[in-house]
Amino acid sequence: MDEQTTLLEQIMAYDFALYDLQLFLNTHPSDTNALRDYKMALEQSENLRRQYQSKYGPLTARYLPNTTCWQWINDPWPWNNKEV
Amino acid sequence: MWFYDKKTQYPIKITKPDPRMAIAILTQYGGPNGELAASLRYLSQRFSMPTKEAKATLNDIGTEELAHLEMIGTMVHQLMDKVPPKELEKLHVDTNYVIHGRAVYPSDSNGVPFTAAYIESMEDPIANLNEDLAAEEKARATYDYLINIADDPDVIDPLRFLREREVVHYQRFGETLRIVQETMGRKKFY
Ligand SMILES: [Fe+2]
Repeated sequence: MDEQTTLLEQIMAYDFALYDLQLFLNTHPSDTNALRDYKMALEQSENLRRQYQSKYGPLTARYLPNTTCWQWINDPWPWNNKEV
Repeated sequence: MWFYDKKTQYPIKITKPDPRMAIAILTQYGGPNGELAASLRYLSQRFSMPTKEAKATLNDIGTEELAHLEMIGTMVHQLMDKVPPKELEKLHVDTNYVIHGRAVYPSDSNGVPFTAAYIESMEDPIANLNEDLAAEEKARATYDYLINIADDPDVIDPLRFLREREVVHYQRFGETLRIVQETMGRKKFY
């Protein structure tokens, strides 16, 4: 697996953990353990996201790299097969 | 409103085309127990949810189902992509090909187009949440059937992930139902 995919899959793992905790917290809003886990995963995700975007371009349109060209449209899109 | 994140919720990297499996999985795109129906059901029902926990749960599970719709579409696309038409004919998926080519269209595996008749949205939150519990179990059963007929680990792995999510959603809807029942029961004694 190349470095870009490894980093992206780390972000995906943290973001999934965050979403799962979000659903749990919706029905357990005062669970302090879940709140602590959420805070930890959020910091990790934001960190990795910053790294990824500065190296490989935007994950969301609201990231503007220091270039003269709009990079949001660049491949790959999530449904594209890597070898294509 | 929503913002788009340029990634799937769980990695999908299918390298072996399998058009028959693509058509089987298609039912989770636009079929009766599919992700489009799930998303539309919860995002419509959320408007009449009475408690903050229930509003958040319906809103956020409805949103996650959209991410699942994207995963299913990605799987169908990658399983069908670039397969020669003659090959599709040999595998008996040519009827789908002559209507849509190799595109992803919201229908079930038999080609029946998506319809909102698959879902209900009522003002009564107890009725809605009981439908939602049943819907999650039906989606879970569909993923069991799909896993039974799949043999590529690259296909089975994301299907297992999606199956697990239905189990978690069932759990969260159960908790939500109890919260709503308690809140409504309390109101009666006021
Ligand atoms: Fe679900």
